[in-house]
Amino acid sequence: MSATGIEASAQRRRVRRSAWAWALIAAAFYLGFIVLALLRGMK
Amino acid sequence: MAEVLTHAEPHEEHDHKPQGWRRWVYATNHKDIGTMYLVFACIMFFIGGGAAMLIRLELFSPGLQFFDPQFFNSLTTMHALIMIFGAIMPAWTGLANWMIPMQVGAPDMALPRLNNLSFWILPFAFTLLLATFFVPGGAPAGGWTMYPPLILQTGAAFPMLIFSVHLMGASSILGAINVIVTIMNMRAPGITLLRMPLFVWTWLITAYLLIAVMPVLAGAVTMLLTDHFFGTTFFTAAGGGDPVMFQHVFWFFGHPEVYILILPAFGIVSEVIPTFSRKPLFGYEAMVYATASIAFLSFIVWAHHMFTVGMPLAAQLFFMLSTMLIAVPTGVKVFNWTATMWKGSLSFEPPMLFALAFLFLFTIGGFSGLMLAIVPADYQYQDTYFVVAHFHYVLVPGTIFGIMAGVYYWLPKWTGKMYSLTLANWHFWLSAIFVNVLFFPQHFLGLAGMPRRIPDYAVQFTDWNRVSSLGGFGFGLAQLLFPILIWKCIRSGQPIGNRAWEGAHGLEWELPSPPPYHSWTTPPSDAVIARGAAH
Repeated sequence: MSATGIEASAQRRRVRRSAWAWALIAAAFYLGFIVLALLRGMK
Repeated sequence: MAEVLTHAEPHEEHDHKPQGWRRWVYATNHKDIGTMYLVFACIMFFIGGGAAMLIRLELFSPGLQFFDPQFFNSLTTMHALIMIFGAIMPAWTGLANWMIPMQVGAPDMALPRLNNLSFWILPFAFTLLLATFFVPGGAPAGGWTMYPPLILQTGAAFPMLIFSVHLMGASSILGAINVIVTIMNMRAPGITLLRMPLFVWTWLITAYLLIAVMPVLAGAVTMLLTDHFFGTTFFTAAGGGDPVMFQHVFWFFGHPEVYILILPAFGIVSEVIPTFSRKPLFGYEAMVYATASIAFLSFIVWAHHMFTVGMPLAAQLFFMLSTMLIAVPTGVKVFNWTATMWKGSLSFEPPMLFALAFLFLFTIGGFSGLMLAIVPADYQYQDTYFVVAHFHYVLVPGTIFGIMAGVYYWLPKWTGKMYSLTLANWHFWLSAIFVNVLFFPQHFLGLAGMPRRIPDYAVQFTDWNRVSSLGGFGFGLAQLLFPILIWKCIRSGQPIGNRAWEGAHGLEWELPSPPPYHSWTTPPSDAVIARGAAH
């Protein structure tokens, strides 16, 4: 693989990792807040 | 390696773009998606503006003229929801899509398909929201803040409102993830964080705010939904709930939301003023830290929106003082913009005019915000037209003028053509004059005690309401110049070179006008970065 190819695939990996991390954080906030509120509401 | 990163041969093979409707429906290109966001925002601006015209028409005279009170309240509610979530936020995302890859030396946004999804959620969300005008019970009329128990009286529109808010929130969060991932991973070598343009910085901070607070809004409206349909009593006192709790949760979202609406405007003004002052931005790092400070403070001031609900004195003091603290980083910004102009070689093209009007008029909105932060004074101002005047000064000559400054600044880059400066000057001067005729008298009305969100008022408020309505009609008509100007620019503007403005710096001005379909297929060289560096 050429230097550009290695660089590009490393960047793709970084982007994918970063996207997943932020998606998980956002989903945890989004769903977590709703689920916690509903659980508390059912008490 | 250096050679690999710096060669600048164009990659035409990347320029194959789909044609016809597929180009837009399946769009993954940041410029196409940016354009769609901006067109969508423009359409929503005119729909929301139409609601505003009807509101001002009804308020032209005391007594009920045209609409029943329920419909009037629907107009105020929908005007706010459409303008905030349909016009301003998509306009910022459109500008981010267009400019962030070009400014950080990236070929596109990091997640192009997610970008497509973020945009295409919006037409569905707003079709749903606008459809509420035609369902039994009419559109939501409880205010954009959706306070219970009033909002729970909404008819068939209620679940549509909640679902559309969820869709808007999801779209914003996905857009924010894309912005963060792009900025953190796609910057060209050499573009360190503290070499990024201010627009990129302010958007990065805005994206963090979006991810932090949109879920809170989603949680709050979901609790409303379960209160309405599933027998919970989160906000129903009879069942052990607390309606004031909703206000706390809502404003924990709502205050950072205000900064989501205004921070990118700070970024644009920080780009425009140095260009037309022909000087680097004064205090670049201070501007970055001030933006971050404002974002942090936005999380600890929410209860200033609800001083009159009856909270402990200690809480009132805390929220009053924390709110006043925001004046410090904001003051740093206003000082730095002014210092940038000091001894600069100023010229007053339309982007600069909008940026200067922003500087003066947003500051008026900031000052009335300080007045509202003072607890005993706020007891007088609460729910009056003074509040309406305050937030409209922040959002119209603040945010909307910021968007206009950005569009007038980068339109020649996007189209490769210069727009009519005469028409743009007319647009500016009419907007700047009428926006003050529209909103300044509302300070007087509020101080005299006129409550907000009412279709009728006591006769002593007639004169200033008439002035305000005439200003509103003038402002609304002036906005029609904007799409005409853009149409004329695309059809028959004069071609321009790479750098539309003599004093402009930044990587976007190193690209051809209009830029190629993919912006930086090879990262910009060190020499290009050095030439484009604004500070």
